[in-house]
Amino acid sequence: MLLTSILCVPLLVGLLCLIARPRVLLEALNIAGFAATLALGVRLVQAVLANHGATVTEWREFLRADALSAWMVLLISVVSLSTSLYAVHYFRRDLATGTLTARRVREFYVLTPIFATGMFLVVLANNLGVMWAAVEVTALSSVLLVALYNHKTSLEAAWKYVMLGSLGLVLALFGTICAYASAISPTGGETMPSFNWSSLLAMAPQLNPQLITLAFVFVLVGYGTKAGLAPMHTWLPDAHSEAPSPTSAMLSGVSLKIAVYALLRFHILTTACLGTWFSRHLLLGFGLFSMVLAGPFILTQKNLKRMLAYSSLEHVGLICVGVGLNSPLTVFGALLHMGYHALTKPVLFFAAGNIHQHYHTLDFRRIGGGVAHTLPVTALVLGVAAVAVSGLPPFGLFVSELLIVTGGFTSQQAWVSVVLLAALIAVFCGVLIKLSGLLLGPARPDHPREQMPGGHVVAMCLPLVALLVFSLWVPDSLRQLMEQAANIIRGTP
Amino acid sequence: MNLPASETASRLITLLASLMLVFQLLLVVQRMLITNIRLFALQSLLLTAIAAVVAYAYGAWHLVVVVVLTFLGKVIFLPWLLTRLVRRIKIEQEVRPFVNMPASMLICGALTVLASVVVRPFTSLERLGSNTLAVALTLLLTGFFLMINRRKAITQVLALLTTENGVMLAAIALTTYGMPLVVEMAIFFDVVVGVMVLGLLVFRIRESFDSMDVSKLNELKG
Repeated sequence: MLLTSILCVPLLVGLLCLIARPRVLLEALNIAGFAATLALGVRLVQAVLANHGATVTEWREFLRADALSAWMVLLISVVSLSTSLYAVHYFRRDLATGTLTARRVREFYVLTPIFATGMFLVVLANNLGVMWAAVEVTALSSVLLVALYNHKTSLEAAWKYVMLGSLGLVLALFGTICAYASAISPTGGETMPSFNWSSLLAMAPQLNPQLITLAFVFVLVGYGTKAGLAPMHTWLPDAHSEAPSPTSAMLSGVSLKIAVYALLRFHILTTACLGTWFSRHLLLGFGLFSMVLAGPFILTQKNLKRMLAYSSLEHVGLICVGVGLNSPLTVFGALLHMGYHALTKPVLFFAAGNIHQHYHTLDFRRIGGGVAHTLPVTALVLGVAAVAVSGLPPFGLFVSELLIVTGGFTSQQAWVSVVLLAALIAVFCGVLIKLSGLLLGPARPDHPREQMPGGHVVAMCLPLVALLVFSLWVPDSLRQLMEQAANIIRGTP
Repeated sequence: MNLPASETASRLITLLASLMLVFQLLLVVQRMLITNIRLFALQSLLLTAIAAVVAYAYGAWHLVVVVVLTFLGKVIFLPWLLTRLVRRIKIEQEVRPFVNMPASMLICGALTVLASVVVRPFTSLERLGSNTLAVALTLLLTGFFLMINRRKAITQVLALLTTENGVMLAAIALTTYGMPLVVEMAIFFDVVVGVMVLGLLVFRIRESFDSMDVSKLNELKG
């Protein structure tokens, strides 16, 4: 009942928050719920590894977890837990300043577990149709979170997000149906084939190649929109900058990767049916385009959280490039990158949230500079996390980026690595120039030093500490898990 | 791939699908919001009828659940919800679309031709009716066009729903027996909840902007 409980715990938390009155209880329920899912996620990893690459299934294979799903479950739990810890002080402060009403705060604590439940269902559902529906659940719950502040700009962001997201999901649904239809001709059309991913994969050579091609193209555009791949990324900076910071952290930290995960499932299917050429080159192309596009937008960016959103665009692009290169090294690098990015990006958004709450703006020019004098701890955390996200050692993102770049050189696709390096350097310069301008500089007399409560600082730093630990030491079990997941993606179990 | 015994059913499906297209084109040229909602309800009714024909002619009895759900959801509940929303925010008519009506009609005609050309290699995969896949793709494309062309948030929601009708038509055309019940139910509930979320947003936009003209949502850039 492991998989079922992973789904039920956050759902139950969401429902309980609907009736719970005191705010402390809401906060405690969220934290306890996500701590429980993290523990269950660790159990799942053990279960997957114990069977030596086998899968865990429940409800007649309705729920199914292999190494790839287990890895994603871990990421969702970690990001949700750190977000719920950070959210405590963030929303208390918003309540104290009257930015949000108590009702809206409750809305956050109800919707966030439901958002997480949707994501867990995406990675645990075996049925591709159910997976689509779960992606839609994540989209709908996060739209309301983006609109939480009810400002004009946040409503605009939410509207763009929901319209583009729904449009993408309609296309993804069409693709999903095509994938299902491709299984009908081989079974003669008399009986209904199973819609399960595992059984489609088992009969992959018999699937109708035309329909699988069509399916992958539609799914790529559809889930690609949700993953924020360029040129379908236009909703991404709006939604990330207008959402409350804890939600931005969830969106950027895992939600984008969940869409990439959905895409990967179809990539594996397409590869098994048509060979490696088709889908991996599409992923490579979209990934590179996203990376190249992110650089100029970061260099000219005026808003802190929008800049972070474009950095997410770059990292999602890098993950797709890693999968698209399709060598053992790069796919492993892509998975590692997902993990490290999930630990880094939330910290950046947490720090940006603190800055937003102090200055009431995210505009670089209106903040001016000297954040290091006003909010010393936040500035330090933001600086360290920015160094990490730009891919500098000793942080793990350096290792994963190096793996992907090296993999490109060794697999006779040196041009990919050259483009990658150029894009990485552009983003590196952009992020560091913008942030040094923001953090350093003379103190502003109208903004005296502000004290943060100790608990809040700890909550903010926790993922960063975890990043540092896991950068220096990757446990054997996690390495095995990622190797198995990489084998699943490459279709060589 | 028409089964001889189901020749009548196949023709009926072709007829109903082409009527769906007619309603889509009427939606494109109609500016009254209430009428738009009714046109969408009628289009959904045709989709329901197609599912019913398939259920009867091919003995796919699990489709009956789909028929009932689509009827209750898309023909009755969603139109009722949207009508109530329109009455509450007291906006009856679409302002001038970006492209005027005759030009929109021409563009939609072109999209219809485009869709039939695009699906030509795939027509052998159609299992029901003829040209149903082309109609489905046309609904998708004209739905997108409608979404771009209109300024009112509600019309955009309607356009989104018509694209969804198109996808469900494609599902019936490509698979005969529809999808497993659990998937159909999941899609159905997602659509209903989705429209409710959209309605809530429309309401909030109307309150903050004093308008539901989405072309006024233009502050976020870069």
